[in-house]
Amino acid sequence: MEGKEQNSNIKMNYQIPCFQFHDVSFAWPGKRVILERQNFIVPQGAFVLIHGPSGTGKSTILRLMNRLEEVDSGKISFLGQNLTHWNPCELRQQAAYLQQIPAIPDLSIRDILLQPFFFRVNKEKAKPPDQNLLKLLAKVKMNDVRLDDPGAVLSGGQRQRLSLLRTLLTGPKAMLLDEPTSSLDSESKGYVHELLEDLNRQGTTIVLITHDTFSPKKVPVVEITIDQGRVFLCR
Amino acid sequence: MPLTTGALDISVAELAIASLFIAFAGAISLWSRIGLGKSIFIGAARCVLQLTIMGYVLSFIFGIASAWVVLLLFCIMVAFAVRIVRGNVSEKSIPFVLPSFISMLFVYAVVTSIVTGLIVGARPFWHPQYFIPMAGMVAGNSMTALGLSLDRLLSDLKAKRDLVEMQLCLGATPVEASQDIFRDALKAGMIPSINALAGVGIVFLPGMMTGQILSGEDPVLAIRYQIVVMFMLVASTALTVSMVLGIVRQRCFGPGMQLLLRRPDRPQ
Repeated sequence: MEGKEQNSNIKMNYQIPCFQFHDVSFAWPGKRVILERQNFIVPQGAFVLIHGPSGTGKSTILRLMNRLEEVDSGKISFLGQNLTHWNPCELRQQAAYLQQIPAIPDLSIRDILLQPFFFRVNKEKAKPPDQNLLKLLAKVKMNDVRLDDPGAVLSGGQRQRLSLLRTLLTGPKAMLLDEPTSSLDSESKGYVHELLEDLNRQGTTIVLITHDTFSPKKVPVVEITIDQGRVFLCR
Repeated sequence: MPLTTGALDISVAELAIASLFIAFAGAISLWSRIGLGKSIFIGAARCVLQLTIMGYVLSFIFGIASAWVVLLLFCIMVAFAVRIVRGNVSEKSIPFVLPSFISMLFVYAVVTSIVTGLIVGARPFWHPQYFIPMAGMVAGNSMTALGLSLDRLLSDLKAKRDLVEMQLCLGATPVEASQDIFRDALKAGMIPSINALAGVGIVFLPGMMTGQILSGEDPVLAIRYQIVVMFMLVASTALTVSMVLGIVRQRCFGPGMQLLLRRPDRPQ
């Protein structure tokens, strides 16, 4: 990792990192460089906060980690294996990416939450029963919604929370979250942050882009910023 | 009133009278200032030129009766159909010309051969008098449907990129993530053919049937031909559109199952 502290290694608790960037470069065609030969590691079980001004490429890094974009050169590994060796469906199930403005289909809240189970990669998995879904909704202060309600009536903040729950229901090993609290009031943000800390304590690696001043208290945190094609370790 | 044997002749002077219809269309364009006058006259000139050439080509082909020449003309017709489809699709970043050409060639050849060889009973099955007009009708009909479907598929994948990517992020395969868009595109191409099935004989009398009746053919036989043609058009449209859409959809996704079509306003 390059940067202010010139710290080449984040101390890892595990032999195999969750994500590892090897000399990764990426630029949008005809536009600015997002990453230029960058090396860094996201340890397993880490809680990583990505800060930085808009337009520096924070979202692009998560998209690269989820293979929604391909690196120009270098390679990214997930759990020790090059992303290109992963079945993309399996990779996205294990390293779940939540878009900044998540799309909500025209379905009931129950079906939106269970959407991942409709796909072949999760067909074998047992769908969580209604009571579990209601418990999860309560965790993010959505006790007032009913599972049969249409998703279309939800507010922007409720949609964001629902999408987060949908992403974590299949039990991913890592969650790549692009400003999941940008439409939430401060109280709801608190519930979401608490939920993320809980997940992290249970072993889920969290990579979170945020403009909030949120700092998890009960878990060790890695903070990075991205600027002019370089990744800087802050702490 | 008895049927005439053979169509009544149309002289050059009578053709000139018919061209007044084009003049009317041009006048309306001028009057309403829609700027289509040039296109109408160029289109009319092309129509006269292409049909005249085709008339001579068909006379030549009927004269030599060679399977290879029929095949060559058939390939040229399909190539022009693909060219027109390409012009009707606004999204150009996904290459679809070659898969479209191969699929159209295959489907049109199979469907037309079944009709001429099996149903009409032409011997040989590629008899130019039957094969070329039938292939022309198949190509003309499904070309329009294919243009509509491809344009719908590509523009929807682009416009609904967030929805498609959301499903990919949840572990969907490209086929799963684009299922609804694919169905809508297929429907968009199929509906005109299905509407034509419902409207034929009441709302309109198709060109082939009209042509046969004008040339003095028994209307009952003309109707049988038309029924065969209508069914052939539905089948060829369904086959061509679904085949090409399937191939093009595959090309819209990269090796990492990522959507390649990008909205110009949002590179990220």
